[in-house]
Amino acid sequence: MSSNLPDFDEDAPLLEVEDLSTTFRTDAGTLLAVDGIDFTVRKGETVCIVGESGSGKTVATESITRLIKEPPGQVDGTIRNKGLNLMELSEKELRSIRGNNIAHIFQNPQEAMNHCYTVGWQIVEALRVHQDVPKKEARARAIDLLDRVGIANASARFNDYPHEFSGGQKQRAMIAMALVAEPDLLIADEPTTALDVTVQAQILRLLNELQEEYGMSILFVTHDLGVVAEIADRVIVMYSGKVMERGDVFQIFEQPAHPYTQALMRCLPDKGVDTGGIPGQLPDPLDPPDGCRFAPRCEHAIEDCTIGEQPAEMEIDSDHEVSCVFYQHGYDESVVRDRELEDDTAIEDSSTEVGATDD
Amino acid sequence: MGLGKYITARVAWAGIVSLVIVTIAFILMHFAPNPAIQQAATDAALQGNDPQEAIERAEELRGLDRPIHVQYLDFLQNVYTLNWGWSEYRSQPVPQALLEGLYYSAQYSVPWTILTLLIGPLVGVYSAINMYSWKDHLATGFAFFGFAIPNFFFGIILLLVFAIWLGWVPVIYNPDVAVFSLENIRQLILPVFVLVTGSIGGIMRVSRNESAEFLNADFMKTAKAKGVSPMRAYAYHVMRPTMVPLSTTVVGQLLAIFLGSSVLVEVVFGIPGLGRLTFNALINQDTNLVLGSLLVFTFIGVVGNLIEDLVFTILDPRISYDDR
Repeated sequence: MSSNLPDFDEDAPLLEVEDLSTTFRTDAGTLLAVDGIDFTVRKGETVCIVGESGSGKTVATESITRLIKEPPGQVDGTIRNKGLNLMELSEKELRSIRGNNIAHIFQNPQEAMNHCYTVGWQIVEALRVHQDVPKKEARARAIDLLDRVGIANASARFNDYPHEFSGGQKQRAMIAMALVAEPDLLIADEPTTALDVTVQAQILRLLNELQEEYGMSILFVTHDLGVVAEIADRVIVMYSGKVMERGDVFQIFEQPAHPYTQALMRCLPDKGVDTGGIPGQLPDPLDPPDGCRFAPRCEHAIEDCTIGEQPAEMEIDSDHEVSCVFYQHGYDESVVRDRELEDDTAIEDSSTEVGATDD
Repeated sequence: MGLGKYITARVAWAGIVSLVIVTIAFILMHFAPNPAIQQAATDAALQGNDPQEAIERAEELRGLDRPIHVQYLDFLQNVYTLNWGWSEYRSQPVPQALLEGLYYSAQYSVPWTILTLLIGPLVGVYSAINMYSWKDHLATGFAFFGFAIPNFFFGIILLLVFAIWLGWVPVIYNPDVAVFSLENIRQLILPVFVLVTGSIGGIMRVSRNESAEFLNADFMKTAKAKGVSPMRAYAYHVMRPTMVPLSTTVVGQLLAIFLGSSVLVEVVFGIPGLGRLTFNALINQDTNLVLGSLLVFTFIGVVGNLIEDLVFTILDPRISYDDR
């Protein structure tokens, strides 16, 4: 879509994030929400960021277009959208990216729309902020989009208020709002968490369809591995502001390498006997531990796990990296490998589990 | 249609409320001593006539010897046909006296109301955006000052400083200047300022606290993610929902000050408006005029609350009147 920013390099990756750190100043000290993470999203692919609540997933994605409040927040690092460094843009230039090149949908559709305006008004607003479109045409496009995202009788529903929409319909309307300027990247922050399981499946299927239709990339945040299996091309596992493991979705499910990823897998309802969650809790973000962030909760942790920095990410397969001491030279990786999980055909099981609720 | 039916019902209720107030006024008046009759008795006694006979004659003259329900119906008819009697103290019909008072009251009430409605919410939202900064503290301090200081006292101080010491504005109000003239602005600037400081304090605080909630709402993040500028987001996404709870406060505040403080402010600044008219009517025991101004204030109160309830539905679509 039209943009007054000329320096896009169409050959560069859609989104490159390097050494992204997001901190918040609080009365108790500096809170480290995201600690120097890197990731890339290429054109047309779906990348899932997985991790339990509080691991920094949302803050990481909201740092991309700097939706987080600054201050108290502070974002450092490099974020390139098709070669254009978003960190160097002025607030005004950044606004022309938001909703235009990079769009967002959020976790709680109940609260994500202003209750005082009609759904149609809010979609038209999203369009007219970026494009000088006559009101009539904007309305027609909004109705088309509402229809496209599966709102029945869209031209009548255009004038309805958010409280007249169901939760699933609201999330559909939010998707329509996000797509109004045909973005290259859709950042979806737990878009199905607040919805019924049946509605979840419908929304995921809609996102899959729209992704193909618009050729956009999706950066998907979730804590639900079932959803990951359904939608992801690549997976990034985050814990306490750090990347633990990353890789192709099949590799992550077939060979979960990091003890944290394995622990998440075991939490899936149909995996093994231990569904009591992961013992322990997230480290204090005001004072993260030395060494591997997961070490205090890791059953395999040895002394080397608790000194220095988070272990460097080691490539254990093509496009599969893990940040764990045991995969480094001089350690025995078989200590942390979980043959039981690897033998399971995890991805098929969980996808049928979600798929079963479809329709 | 829900709204049309609601408005009809609400207007009917307003009529019933006014009837109740008029009835209470009638009952109170019935038991209160009538100065005209007492005067007749006194005159008769002074001239050596029978005071009791004079009282009866005076009552007969005024129709007060008739049964109470006849008097009541007569009274009601007069009230609703604007036949509000003769003001002894002003020597003119009551509606005419009230209209003259209203003419002067409106000259400061209209700018005061408009300024309050403009400045109060704006400063409140500004305060919320800059919460806990020196700008917020300054606005908050100003709000509390205006809220706390009695209007009449503040008016006297301002008159002393700006009219007597500095001589920038006239000390004595001149009712004969043209409405839209520089002179009129000069003589009304202090009363308007006093009333605005008194009324925006509460409105500022309410809009600050209400908008603080909406500033952190999820839909503000949505607006930001859409690429909406902060100014637009404040104007559309914060102001609008803030107006809903605020409209309650606005009507309550303005009515309270209109009925209460304006009397004192008019006395201090010597404005011959509705407030001072009521005050003088009370002092002079001019029953008809007191009753007339009571009816005017009743009307303003009832209509103000009616408007407030209707504004609710328009501001917040979630409030539905379909089932009432």
